[in-house]
Parts: sequence; C-alpha cells; structure tokens
Amino acid sequence: MHRSRNSVAKGLGWGVFLAGFVPGLLQYQLGQKKRAIAAFVGCTALFFVGWAIVRERLFYWALLTPDSGGSELLRGGARFGFVTALPEMLNFPANVLGAILAWDDSPTGERLWRMPRNLEHFGGWLTGASGMLAAFWSAAGHWALRLRRDGGESPAPPVADPALCAALSWLVPGLGHARAGQRSKGMLLGIAVTAVWLLGLVTSGGHAIDRANASVWWMGENLFGGGSLFAALVTGPWAMLSEPPNLQLGIVLCTVAGLMNLVVMVDAFTVAERSVFPLSTGREATA
Amino acid sequence: MSFLLRIAIYVPVLFLIAAVVVGQHHDNAHDTVRAAATRTMRWLVWSAILVAVMFALEVAFIGW
Repeated sequence: MHRSRNSVAKGLGWGVFLAGFVPGLLQYQLGQKKRAIAAFVGCTALFFVGWAIVRERLFYWALLTPDSGGSELLRGGARFGFVTALPEMLNFPANVLGAILAWDDSPTGERLWRMPRNLEHFGGWLTGASGMLAAFWSAAGHWALRLRRDGGESPAPPVADPALCAALSWLVPGLGHARAGQRSKGMLLGIAVTAVWLLGLVTSGGHAIDRANASVWWMGENLFGGGSLFAALVTGPWAMLSEPPNLQLGIVLCTVAGLMNLVVMVDAFTVAERSVFPLSTGREATA
Repeated sequence: MSFLLRIAIYVPVLFLIAAVVVGQHHDNAHDTVRAAATRTMRWLVWSAILVAVMFALEVAFIGW
C-alpha cells in the first residue's frame, strides 16, 4: 500500500541510513548494478588518489589523532576508521582501509603524520571529496527508495535529479537550483554564499581555508566544495610568514559560508523533490 | 578593528545569511530579497538586545 503522495517525507529507517555509508550499497539493493559499481569505484578511487598524497597526514587533520587523550575505546575505534576524519567518514569502507593502512602511534608514525607533504592541500581535498561524493550517492539511493515507496505505479519524473542538484550546489552554490528551474533564486543564493566566502578569504589574507592549520574549521568550510578546491589549488599552498591580523574572522566567515551552502544544498534537493512530492502542509512557496 | 568596520561586515553578512535561510520558503529572488530584508531587521534588533544585555552583565559583575 502506498502512502499519500502529499504526505510529508518520512524517514526510511536506520538500515537505509547506515547502508548509505557504503558507496553503491543502496544502488545494489535497488538492482542498479552498474550505478552501484560506478559509485563504489568512483568514491574509492577518489579517496585513494588523495590518500596516496597525504597518507598518514590524514590523521593529523582528524578529530582523533594517534596522540589524542581520551578513552582507549575511542582511540581503538579511531585506529580502525571510526570517527577519524570528516567528511572522509562518509565513505566508510575507504576510510577504514586508509586508517588500518596508515595508523601508527609510534614516534616514527608521529613524525610522519606531522610532516607536511607536497600537494597535501589538493590530496586532502580529494579524500574529502570522496566522502562528499559518497554522501551524494547515498542521497541518490534514498531518493530512489522514496520514489519506489511513495511514487505509485508510474511516478512522474522529477524536474531534475535531487541528489545531482545537491552535488552541483556543493561545487557551485545555486547551480542545483538553476538545474531544478529556480534560476533567479539560485543566482541569489550563489552570490550570497560566494560573497561571504570571498570576504572571509580576503580578510584573512588568503589563509582562512587551510586544512593543515585549521582542520576542524575546514570540515565546515569544505561544505562549499568549489571554494575549498580553489583554496586547495591556489591559496592553501601560500606560505604564512606571520599570522594575518584578521585570520580568525576570515576562518569564521569561510566556515559560515560553508554552513550556508549546506542549507543551499539541502534546499536544492528539496526543490527537485517537491516537483514529485509537493508539501501539503507547512509554509509553501508564495510566488 | 574599529567598531564601524565590524558593523560594515556584520550587517551585510547577516543579510546574506538571512537570504539563504528565508530562501527555503520562496522560489524566486525577488521574494527572497524582500523577506531577507525583513528578517535582517529582526535579527539586528535581537543583536542589539543581546549586546545590551551582555553590556549590562559586564557592568553589573565587573564594573564600569
């Protein structure tokens, strides 16, 4: 029995949520074998291309490092890839394998994860992008399952693929809205996110987005993927001879821009989703 | 950083954040900008109240 087309979205359960951490697993369950292979291979390849550059250094940027305090249970979990780096964690199998291969809490290992690498900004962006890509594949799987559950016998196609809209917005804020048919709003949101991001980068002298120096903040900044890619290629490698006077302000602004883009990504997904499942309750679009 | 420069950054950033927040309830730029302007004004009032309360607490517990 299908639920009402107009019902507000309901969750698909913990099983589907957890399966989303393995790229391609939801597509495999849906019988989309080619897409499942593309998701798994794409996410894993992206991770290990980046990992080949940064290797042990990835754990210097993680929430838990080999020299972290805390319980043995947490440290033991981190050694096997549980809650180490974000967003790499979203690509769970690759993150686990990377942790097992590189985790070393000996003094030699500590030297290795403290040692800067050539192209490490770009390598760190690639491993992070693998986690984001896994999240978008997961969103695509959730959307297909939702369509199967609530869409009836022959569901109308959405105006654009919701997961693709979210992914486009990650790279270029507002592009997902343009794809979903809301061009003027997409342009406005894109300008809003980019303006705050640019203000942060300029006030910090270009040093706000630097995974090696502000790794926790980078997790938020990376929610604007196009911006963090630009920083990884252009401003990240700049040497910081002395701390810019407004570095803290710049870091906060770039993180705010990333969090703003998270809202934009979710909204782009929702705009495409509502073309099939319009909300019957709550505040509707007024224009 | 001077107070005026802080305000010059704070107000436009507040407006841009408001545009993203209220944008979820509209589907074109015109309506979003109008709603964002209203929301920014409301947030500015709350910001002023917050600063006043913090200042009052400072005076009460630390002194002038």
